[in-house]
Amino acid sequence: KCPDPRPSRLHSFNYNLASRHFRTQAGFPTASYDRRHVHTHFAPWRTIRSADFEDMGFTCCDIVPNSKFVIVGTHQGEAKVFNINDGVEQFSSICHTYSVNSVKANCSGELALTTTLWRSPQTILWSIRNNEFQSKLRLAEVTHCEFSQASQDRLLGTLNECAVLYDINTGSKVSTFTPTIPNLYTQNRATLCRTDELLLSDGVLWDVRSCKEIHKFDKFNQNISGVFHPNCLEIIANTEVWDLRTFHLLQTVPVLDQRKVTFSPMNVIYGATLGSDQDQDTDTTAYDTRSSFNVLDAYDYSSIATIDVKRTINDLSVSGNGSLIAVVEDHSVYDSKQETYVKIYAVGIKKSERSEEEDDEEVPESDEEG
Amino acid sequence: MSHHYVVTAQKPTAVVACLTGNFTSPTDLNLIIARNNQVEIDLVTPEGLRPLKEININGAIAVMRHFRPPDSNKDLLFILTRRYNVMILECRMVGDSITVITKANGNVSDPVGIPSEGGVIAAIDPKARVIGMCLYQGLFTIIPMDKDASELKATNLRMDELTVYDVEFLHGCLNPTVIVIHMDNDGRHVKSHEINLRDKEFMKIAWKQDNVETEATMLIPVPSPIGGVVVIGRESIVYHDGSNYHAVAPLTFRQSTINCYARVDSKGQRYLLGNMDGQLYMLFLGTSETSKGTMSVKDIKVEQLGEISIPECITYLDNGFLYIGSRHGDSQLVRLSSDAIDGSYVIPVENFTNLAPILDIAVVDLDRQGQGQIITCSGSFKDGSLRIIRIGIGIQEHACIDLPGIKGMWSLKVGMDESPYENTLVLAFVGHTRILTLSGEEVEETEIPGFASDSQTFLCANVEYDQIVQVTAESVRLVKSSTKLLVAEWQPEGDRSIGVVSCNGTQIVVASARDIFYIVIEDGNLVEKSRKTLAYEVACLDITPLDEQENKSDLVAVGLWTDISAVILSLPDLEAIYTEKLSGEIIPRSILMTTFEGIHYLLCALGDGSMFYFILDKTSGQLTDKKKVTLGTQPTTLRTFRSFATTNVFACSDRPTVIYSSNHKLVFSNVNLKEVNHMCSLNAQAYPDSLALATKSSVILGTIDEIQKLHIRTVPLGEGPRRIAYQEASQTFAVSTMRIDVHGRGGAKPMRNSASTQAQNITCSSNILPKPGGGNPTAANAEVGQEVDVHNLLVIDQNTFEVLHAHQFVPPETISSLMSAKLGDDPNTYYVVATSLVFPDEPEPKVGRIIIFHYHDNKLTQVAETKVDGTCYALVEFNGKVLAGIGSFVRLYEWTNEKELRMECNIQNMIAALYLKAKGDFILVGDLMRSITLLQHKQMEGIFVEIARDCEPKWMRAVEILDDDTFLGSETNGNLFVCQKDSAATTDEERQLLPELARFHLGDTVNVFRHGSLVMQNVGERTTPVNGCVLYGTCNGAIGIVTQIPQDFYDFLHGLEERLKKIIKSVGKIEHTYYRNFQIHTKVEPSEGFIDGDLIESFLDLTRDKMRDAVLGLELTLNGERKCADVEDVIKIVEDLTRMH
Repeated sequence: KCPDPRPSRLHSFNYNLASRHFRTQAGFPTASYDRRHVHTHFAPWRTIRSADFEDMGFTCCDIVPNSKFVIVGTHQGEAKVFNINDGVEQFSSICHTYSVNSVKANCSGELALTTTLWRSPQTILWSIRNNEFQSKLRLAEVTHCEFSQASQDRLLGTLNECAVLYDINTGSKVSTFTPTIPNLYTQNRATLCRTDELLLSDGVLWDVRSCKEIHKFDKFNQNISGVFHPNCLEIIANTEVWDLRTFHLLQTVPVLDQRKVTFSPMNVIYGATLGSDQDQDTDTTAYDTRSSFNVLDAYDYSSIATIDVKRTINDLSVSGNGSLIAVVEDHSVYDSKQETYVKIYAVGIKKSERSEEEDDEEVPESDEEG
Repeated sequence: MSHHYVVTAQKPTAVVACLTGNFTSPTDLNLIIARNNQVEIDLVTPEGLRPLKEININGAIAVMRHFRPPDSNKDLLFILTRRYNVMILECRMVGDSITVITKANGNVSDPVGIPSEGGVIAAIDPKARVIGMCLYQGLFTIIPMDKDASELKATNLRMDELTVYDVEFLHGCLNPTVIVIHMDNDGRHVKSHEINLRDKEFMKIAWKQDNVETEATMLIPVPSPIGGVVVIGRESIVYHDGSNYHAVAPLTFRQSTINCYARVDSKGQRYLLGNMDGQLYMLFLGTSETSKGTMSVKDIKVEQLGEISIPECITYLDNGFLYIGSRHGDSQLVRLSSDAIDGSYVIPVENFTNLAPILDIAVVDLDRQGQGQIITCSGSFKDGSLRIIRIGIGIQEHACIDLPGIKGMWSLKVGMDESPYENTLVLAFVGHTRILTLSGEEVEETEIPGFASDSQTFLCANVEYDQIVQVTAESVRLVKSSTKLLVAEWQPEGDRSIGVVSCNGTQIVVASARDIFYIVIEDGNLVEKSRKTLAYEVACLDITPLDEQENKSDLVAVGLWTDISAVILSLPDLEAIYTEKLSGEIIPRSILMTTFEGIHYLLCALGDGSMFYFILDKTSGQLTDKKKVTLGTQPTTLRTFRSFATTNVFACSDRPTVIYSSNHKLVFSNVNLKEVNHMCSLNAQAYPDSLALATKSSVILGTIDEIQKLHIRTVPLGEGPRRIAYQEASQTFAVSTMRIDVHGRGGAKPMRNSASTQAQNITCSSNILPKPGGGNPTAANAEVGQEVDVHNLLVIDQNTFEVLHAHQFVPPETISSLMSAKLGDDPNTYYVVATSLVFPDEPEPKVGRIIIFHYHDNKLTQVAETKVDGTCYALVEFNGKVLAGIGSFVRLYEWTNEKELRMECNIQNMIAALYLKAKGDFILVGDLMRSITLLQHKQMEGIFVEIARDCEPKWMRAVEILDDDTFLGSETNGNLFVCQKDSAATTDEERQLLPELARFHLGDTVNVFRHGSLVMQNVGERTTPVNGCVLYGTCNGAIGIVTQIPQDFYDFLHGLEERLKKIIKSVGKIEHTYYRNFQIHTKVEPSEGFIDGDLIESFLDLTRDKMRDAVLGLELTLNGERKCADVEDVIKIVEDLTRMH
C-alpha cells in the first residue's frame, strides 16, 4: 500500500461555498457539493391547519405533482385538498369511515388513491374533478396501493404477502404475485420499479411480464419490505442496500432503520419513521428518531443531514421538483391536546432567527408553487 | 410573449480534447482539436499547423477519442456529447476539400440512469472491438463496434464499483478488458474486467490491486508488447500488469494533480504528463527482456521538463513538437529541446488565444462612441489574464516611419505614368513640404523641382495629361510629371491666400475667404472658368466626381462658416442650387461627395467629431435623409479610398472610423488604431492596396481588413482574476485576483512573479478579522510547502493596463465581489469590495467585510468598512446605496454623511443570493438553487417586498434584467431562460409567479451577463428591429449576444430557422431540435422564444441553390407589406444581423 498523500486542497476548495462559487464558474464539477449544501437546510415555510383542527387529526399527505395542491388524509377518514401557497382548504371529501392511512395522487393530479387500515373497502381510487372526489374503484383487502410508474395505467395493490396488478380503468386483476416462500413482513408494500418491469413484494423480486419470481432477498428486519432505488439498480430494504442484478448486499445504512424512504428528484433520499407505522412497533423506535427525518445522498447513501422537527412525523411527501417537502407533524404531548398539521418546508432555505425562536410559527414569506 | 435572438460573437476557445493521428489520408498527420461544440482539423506540416476544416457538432463535446479499425490505414474519430449522442466520423478527401462523414451515430442515453457526478468517461478498445463509457452511476455502457452498422447501440452493464475515477482498455488481451480506478470505504483500488462481447456482460476479473494511492486519478494503458497499466496518483506513479509491480514517488511532483498525459512513442515507453500547475513531466518506463522473450518493466523514471499552460490535454505531434490544449490559459504549440535552457526543456512556439473561463466581464465605452469594449477576467491560476476585446477593422502594419507634425499626406505617381503603382508620398508640415520616394521597401527623401517645398502643401494630386497639381497658400502649381518642372501657376489676385481647395483629374476649386474659384486643368495650363462670392467664408470644399468612371464633376460641395451650412454649387457657373443648414454651432471641417453601391451621398464632418450625412441627388443637388453620427471627439477629416474594389471613406480623427456601405446601408466600423490625423491610399509596388496613415508622431503603411472582427488583446496577470469593475472618475479598473503562495521557513512566499507582486504600489490589509470562535487565522505553524491562496485587489490603469496598486488581504480573507459606485451625496466615486473569511472546514463563511476604498492621486485609501455575517456574493449600486447579496440575505446599506455604511433593510428568502441586478426600484436575485426572484424596494417604508418568483428550481449561474418585466437567466446545465412578470394577472397568486416564457439550450454555461453593445449604437441604419443588447461570457470562453426582437420578426426568423434545420445537415446527425431542447435533469422542453442566431447566420454560407430552397415559401413583411421573401431580401436581413457582432 502506498503512503497516503497530504490532504488534498481540492476538497477544501469545494466544500466552502464561497470558494466553490468561483470554481464552479471556472468549470470544475461542483454540482454534488451544491446539492449536498442545499439539502442541509430546511426552513418551515407554510403550516397548514384544518379550520377545525381541534378535532381533526392529519395522518398522511401527498403533494400533487406539478400543482400547488397537497392532499391530506385525516383520522376521521377524510381527504382534504389544500392550496400550498396560502394554506386554504379547497375542498374535502369523506373517503373512509376510518382513519386514512395513506394518500397518493397520480402524476397528472387527476386521480388519487386513499387507503385505510381497516373496514372494507380499504383502498379507493378517486377521480378528482371540479373540486370533487368521485369514487372510481374500490379495492377491498388492499392495504397498500400505488400507481404504476412509467405509464400510470395500472394499480399495484398489496394484500398481505401478495401483490396484485389491477387495470386502472376496469379494476380487473391483471396479474397476481404470490411468493412461494413468503417473508411475511409486517408492513409489506408491493412496489414497481421506474420502468414497471420489476416488482418487489414481501422481499421477493418478480418479473412483471412473466409473473416469475426472480429472487428472494434475505430478511433482515420484521417490518419493511423494501423499495427500488430510482436508478433501477438497487433495492433499499430497511438498512440493507441490495444489488438488483447480482443480489449482493452492497451496503448497510444504519440510519435508515425502520424508516420509510422517499426519493427526491434532486437525487437525495429522505428517511422518516412514520407515526402510523410506529403504532405497531413502538418499542423499537425511540422518540427522537420518530421526530426527525434523515437526508441521504442518493448516489452513495452517505448522510447529508438529520433534521429534527421536534414532533412525531406522520407522513412525508416531496414535491414534484424536489424544492418543497410536506411533513405531517403530530404534536401529542401528554398534558395537552393532540394537534396535527402539515408543515411545508422549503428545501435549502435556512431557518431565520425568528422562526427558530418560535418554532411552530411559519415564516411569513412569499408564495411558492410546489 | 417574449422573443429573443441569441448569437455567438466569439466562438468558445477552451480546448476539451486534442489528439494526433492520420485522418485525412494514411500519410497525413493531423491534429484534431475539440472546443465545446466544435472540432478543428489541422494538418501538421514542417512549417507548422495548417487549419484544414472546422466543423460544428450539435452538442457539447464531452469526450473525443480516436481509433484505427483493424483493416484500415486511417484513423476514425469518436465523439460523445454531454447529452449522450455518440458518433464515429471519418475524414475523406473529395478533390481538394475535406468532407467529414458520419460513419455511425446514435444516442446512448438511458432514461432511468442517474448521471454520474464525476463527469463522463469513454475509452476505446485498442483493437477497436468495443467502446466503453461511464455515463451513469453504477453502469458501464458498451457499444460493440460493427463495421457496417450506421447506428451505434449501447448496452448497459452493471458495474459493482460505484465511485469510478478512470477507465481504460488494456492492450494485448484476448477479450476486451477494461481497467478501472474505483473507491470504496477502504480506499482506492485498481481492478480489471474482461468483457464478453457476445453475451454483453462482464466475464471475470483478470487481476486487481487493492489500495493504490488514495488520490489515484488516472490510468495510462501501456501498449503491447509491454502491456499493463500505469496508475497516476498525486504523489506517486505505479506500474502494474497483474504480476509485475513498480512504484515511484517523484520528488518533483508538487501538490498539484497530474491531469493529462500524451504517449510519445508507439512502443509505449515514454509519456508526457501535465499537471494543474502547468508543469510538464516525462515518464519513462525502463524495460528488459525476460527469459521468455517478452518485455517487462523494470523501472520508472520521471523528469520535470518545464512549464506550459495549465493543460487540459496534451498530444505529441512529431519531431519533438507538442500541442497543449488548455481550458484555463492559452493553448500552445511547444517544442521539446534536447538541452535545457534555463532549466527548461520546453520552448514555446505558438500561443492560441483562449478566453476561458470568463469569470466576469466589464463593458466599457472608453471612446464614447456607443461601442463597448469588453474586458474579461479570463483564465485561472498562473494563466490568469485580462482580455480586451473590441470589434473593428484591423490595420495590418507593414512599415512605420517616425515623422511628427504631419499636416497632410498624398500619394503620387511621379515620372512613371504607365505603371499602376504609386512611388511617392507628399507630406505637408507647417511651413514646408517633404517628398518621400518609395523604391521597393526602401523610403528616401527626394525633391520635385516644380514644387514649392518651402511652404505647406494643401493638396497634391496626379491629374490629366501626366501632370501633378500642388496647392499651397500662395498658388496652384501645375507640374509635368515626366520633367518634374513647373508648367503653369495660378494665383489669386493681390495678397489673398488660398484657404481650402479640392480637385479631381480635370478640375480644381479653390476658396479664399468668401470667394470661390473654378479652375480647369488643361495640358500645360490652368484656366480659371468662373468665380463667385458666397455669403460666408468657406470652411471646406469637395469636387470629387460622383461617377467613378468620370474624372470631372458637375457639382461642388461647400461647407460654410457662420451660418453652418452645406451648399451644393453647380458647375461651371458656381450657382448655389441647394443649401442645407446644419443644426448647431460647430463648423463643418470636411465635406465629401461619394457613391456607395450606386447611391450618392454627401458626408459632412464637423469640428466636434460628429458627422452629418445625406442622400445627394446628382442632378438637382438636393440633399435628403439627413442623419447624424458621432465618430470621435476631435475635428474629423474624410478621405476616400478603394479596397477590395469598393469605395470606402476613412474618417481621420481621434477615433478613426471606416465608412462603407452594405446592403445600401452605411456601416461605421472602428479601426484598431488610437488616432489617425491624415490618411491617403497607397498602391506602391512594395505596399500594394495599402493605406498610409499619419498619427501624431509617425506614418504607418499598412493594409486594411476586409471585414470587421473581434480583436483581442491580452494583459497577462500571472494570477487568477475573478471580478472586475470600471471606474470612470479615476480612469481605472479594479480587479480581484487570487494567487498561490507557498509556505517556506520564513512564512508564505509567492510562487512566481505576478501582477500583484509587481505593482507600482503594494499595501497590505491591516485589519484582520478574527475567526469566529477564536483562533488566529494566520497559519503561523503551517507546514513548509503548504500552499495558501492570497487575494489581492488590483487597481489598473484604463489605458496602459499597468497595475497601479495592489492591496493584499491576509489569508484566509477572500474577495468575493467588487464594484465601483457613487454613494449618497458624496461627490467621490468609490470601489466597494466585499470579502469573507474562507475556512475549508466550514460550508459557508460566517464573517466578512464590505470595505469602501477611494482611489485618488495614485493612492488607495480605505474610507469605511462594515462587518457582515456571511459572504457577500454580489454587489450592485442601487440609487446611491450599496445593495448586497450576503449569504441568504439581500441587504441594502445607505451611505451616511459620516461616511459610514448603515443597514437600511434586509430580506432573507434565498439559499444563497449569488447574483443581483437592479433597475429602478426593482431587484432581480439569482439563487444557488431557487431560480430567480424579483424584489422591490419600497423607499418610503424602507423595506424589501418580494414581488414574484420563478418556482421551478434552477441552479443559477447568471441573471440579467432585459426590461421592466422581462428577466434573463442562465443555469448550470447550459440553458438560458426568460421569465416575465405578469402584471395583468387576475389573482395575487398568479402575479407572484414569474412564468418561464422563453427557453433555449446554449450548450455552454453563461457566467456573466452585461448590457452593452459590441458595435456602434445610435447609427440608425438597421433593417433589423432589435431592442437592447446583452453580452454574455461563458465558461468555455465564448462571448455572445442576446437581444429582444418583435413578434413578426421572430416569426419570420423562426420560419427561416425551421427551413435551415432541414437543409443544413449537421455532422454527427444530431437533430438541431434535440440540441436546443431545454433540459434540466429529467425535464425536457422544446426550445422556444429564442432564435438560434448561429443557425440563421449559417444561411450566408449556403450555396445559391440551397439559399433558394431555404427561402422557398418564406414570407416576410417589408414596409408594412407582406410578401414572399426572395434570396436577396433574406441575405440582406441576415447580413444585418451578423453586423451586431
